Amino acid sequence: MNDKTRRFLPLVVTVGQVVIFPYYIIWLKQVSLTFTLFAWFFAAFSFAAAWGYRIFQSKKNKNQSFICLIYLGMGVVYLLIGNIKNLSEVLPYMVLLLQVILGLLQGYFRAWHTEQDTYHLHAVHHYLIVGFAMIAFSFVTIISPVVFITVFGLLLCLCGVWEFIRERKESI
Amino acid sequence: MDLVKKPWFLGSVVVIFAAVVLWNIPIEKRKYGLSQSSLVTDYTGLLPERVERIVVADNRDDLQRIVKQANDNGQQISVAGLQHSQGGHTYYKDGVVVDMRSFNRILELDEHQKTIRVEAGATWEAVQEALLPYGLALKVTQSQSIFTIGGSLSVNAHGRDIRFGSMAETVKEMTLLTPAGEIMNVTRDDPDEWMKYVFGGYGLFGVILDVTLELTDNDLYVIQTEKLKTSEYPSYFTQLVNQQQTAMHYARVSVAPSSFLNEMYVINYNYTDKQDHKNFLKKEQGVRLSKIALDLGRQGGALEDLFWTMQKRYITSINNQEITRNNAMRSESTFMEYTKPGRVEVLQEFFVPVHAYTEYIEDVKQVIQANDKHDDFKVHNITIRYAAKDNFTTLNYAKEDMLGLVVLMQHGVKEEEVTNATSIIQRWTDITLEHGGTYYLPYYRYQTKEQFRRSYPAW
Repeated sequence: MNDKTRRFLPLVVTVGQVVIFPYYIIWLKQVSLTFTLFAWFFAAFSFAAAWGYRIFQSKKNKNQSFICLIYLGMGVVYLLIGNIKNLSEVLPYMVLLLQVILGLLQGYFRAWHTEQDTYHLHAVHHYLIVGFAMIAFSFVTIISPVVFITVFGLLLCLCGVWEFIRERKESI
Repeated sequence: MDLVKKPWFLGSVVVIFAAVVLWNIPIEKRKYGLSQSSLVTDYTGLLPERVERIVVADNRDDLQRIVKQANDNGQQISVAGLQHSQGGHTYYKDGVVVDMRSFNRILELDEHQKTIRVEAGATWEAVQEALLPYGLALKVTQSQSIFTIGGSLSVNAHGRDIRFGSMAETVKEMTLLTPAGEIMNVTRDDPDEWMKYVFGGYGLFGVILDVTLELTDNDLYVIQTEKLKTSEYPSYFTQLVNQQQTAMHYARVSVAPSSFLNEMYVINYNYTDKQDHKNFLKKEQGVRLSKIALDLGRQGGALEDLFWTMQKRYITSINNQEITRNNAMRSESTFMEYTKPGRVEVLQEFFVPVHAYTEYIEDVKQVIQANDKHDDFKVHNITIRYAAKDNFTTLNYAKEDMLGLVVLMQHGVKEEEVTNATSIIQRWTDITLEHGGTYYLPYYRYQTKEQFRRSYPAW
């Protein structure tokens, strides 16, 4: 079971990130006041992802990856996004902060994932799964993108806890 | 290229970029006014209403046709410029809104006569830009240049000038589209006295198409600031008006708990006999810092005291600076933006005779709290402006020389919160009326009809 979890958790996270992307974009566009700001939020995410990627690559001990914390961190960010209400005065500032944190974590995760044995297999599988998932989601009426974002946040938190338990068991 | 791979370098890029984005997040966030869905709101957002249609004014014939058509159909027409008024003046339920913003041409500028003919949908900013190369400036305008000419004249606005009387008195000529659909040229000696009703008439007496405004020189002034006690202000101001050294003036009264309605500072723009040769119009400056400071003050209590101290320091720092007339008439406004769901910031203005000011302020202390930190109804700022006696317009708010208290206040939008705010503002209005004062009409209607009738008996 441990081996299966080690193989499939990164796939779940990768697929989830791609599937949630359209909903995340809708939310981001809603909270960005202008297209310029929307693009800048994205740029901030991208720069932070590059930073996160290099942080992992520069690690001397890559076995000590803290990946459970990365899952948890990303989960918390998505949960926060799903639960931000009545903060329109400070919302753009919070979005910027969340974009930077999310970019950093996603970049770190991707760098870690590429080092895993299953990465290339996941690459093929994730494209196929995303394709089928998006066809399925096309039949779901969106009330609000934050519902999906919150669910994905919860899923990531579960992945984080699962990974933490797995690592503990493995160390014993 | 190795540098790009260093985590510290990438981290620095992220931090610097995030700081740049942070600084450039626009402050203006709210959506109000006319919209495609025909659901319109006023600036406060408190009065959403569905209108029948919004017509963009293209030319005079079209406008004439729209008015005649509406008359035939028994429909109401309202006139909208940039819609900064608060209280739904620019629309009626199921009515036709004439959007005048495209009616914005400068028609004629006479350098020697010192006049400008301009369409009503043009902004004061556009007029200032047109005047700048000629070294000319407006005689009377609002302290910010973001409003349209037609809008400001419809509320007979006032600003910082203390020498040229009311805004209405600076209009030489006007082209008016009457409620019957006729286009007529109106001068000051018009026997029907259209100007008297149209200026300060809130669009009820016709559509202003264009006006010819009197101008003056774009003089250079020196700023002189001073701190005062509230009780010293009437005599100080009377002396200031009599001495003829000051062209423009305004003041602020403290609403901070420790100096509540006791301290003031004044800002005077004194003549220098010099003209500006730099030819520039200042842009909004220090908006973000001003907003941070105002947001601090909005928290109330000790932070409001801090905000007042910061204001006084700033005012002291601009003492003896030089500024052109045009630039003194275009102060910042974006920093006042306030977006918090469930709450609204509104303006009210009360006019009180200059001689009654001190007693009036003492009575106002009984209506509003010195420390409103924990109250729903909060007062954030009171600016004092001079409104000279106006014998020109019918709905005149300055029946004698008045001081206008422009009050920035905040309250919740739940029914009981609006009721509480209404009750406080009505008490404030009563006190104003008892002191021989009036209140201003471009804002949300908290006052009763009785208070309106007492303030504007000519209606």
